[in-house]
Amino acid sequence: MKEFSDQIKIVFDCNREGIPGTLNVCLTHIRNKAGSSRADDALLAKIKWVIMELLTNAVKHSGERQSVLKIGVSPKMVVLKKEDYGTPLMLVGQDKKKIMWPLEKLVRPMGFPIYHNGMDSLCVRTDESGKATFFIEALAEMEMPALLSDTSEHFGLLIMTKASDEFAYEHDPDTGLNSFICTFNLIE
Amino acid sequence: MILKVEEINRVVQATILPEEASLSNADLFKEEMITILGQGVRLVIVSFENVNYIDSSFLGSLVVALKYAMPRNVDIYLVSLKPDVKNLLTLIRMDKVFRIFDSFEAAMGTLA
Repeated sequence: MKEFSDQIKIVFDCNREGIPGTLNVCLTHIRNKAGSSRADDALLAKIKWVIMELLTNAVKHSGERQSVLKIGVSPKMVVLKKEDYGTPLMLVGQDKKKIMWPLEKLVRPMGFPIYHNGMDSLCVRTDESGKATFFIEALAEMEMPALLSDTSEHFGLLIMTKASDEFAYEHDPDTGLNSFICTFNLIE
Repeated sequence: MILKVEEINRVVQATILPEEASLSNADLFKEEMITILGQGVRLVIVSFENVNYIDSSFLGSLVVALKYAMPRNVDIYLVSLKPDVKNLLTLIRMDKVFRIFDSFEAAMGTLA
């Protein structure tokens, strides 16, 4: 986030009671910086969902007492970055195979589907560095959505992937830093 | 207690009281829904009239409740969703598994 000289950094104490207050601080900053003309209500709603999920993820999965949320706003985009030194990401693919970071060099790059709800397949691919980018592949509609057979743990990833323009995860094996990065393109 | 419950003729109107439907109350919601669903009702109409935002944890509890209801032949309808809440449900396709109505009265209108 080098291009955001005036980004704000919010330390979040990873407790669920702190989510609404932190959410409001983040949204107020984004509204003030981006202006309503480029961040309309629909986009702000998506940003709100993603911040909620980033903070919820910090409470449920980081195993840390604190996470840091960085918010950068430029004329073209809003970038949310959640950082912590807690448990690295672990994904379970549709074949039940577990993938944990840091990834072995041998398995990079890689890609696989994680979850589908009958219409959207949530997939991940990694690059040579191990950075994971989440994306959606559309499926032909099924009669009984798989939503009912595979619940909850993937809803957060699905929301962040579908609501943002890019959603990625990075893990630095040297420092142990985990980063979830969500990018939103602003209206021209 | 997270739900305000009224029952008439095995139809339950369950109104979510907090304005945040989130990790902080998702488990309680699930427990209260499962208690209602286990009491021999035929339909539970969940009103979101007070809910300003919802997260993935609460959505997960909603799906768990539906999975508990289906083999018991109990329907769950969702009513009075604010636009942000409805849009999030639609984003992850939950509108394909729940019947959603504008109001309690509109949901009751299907029971003629």
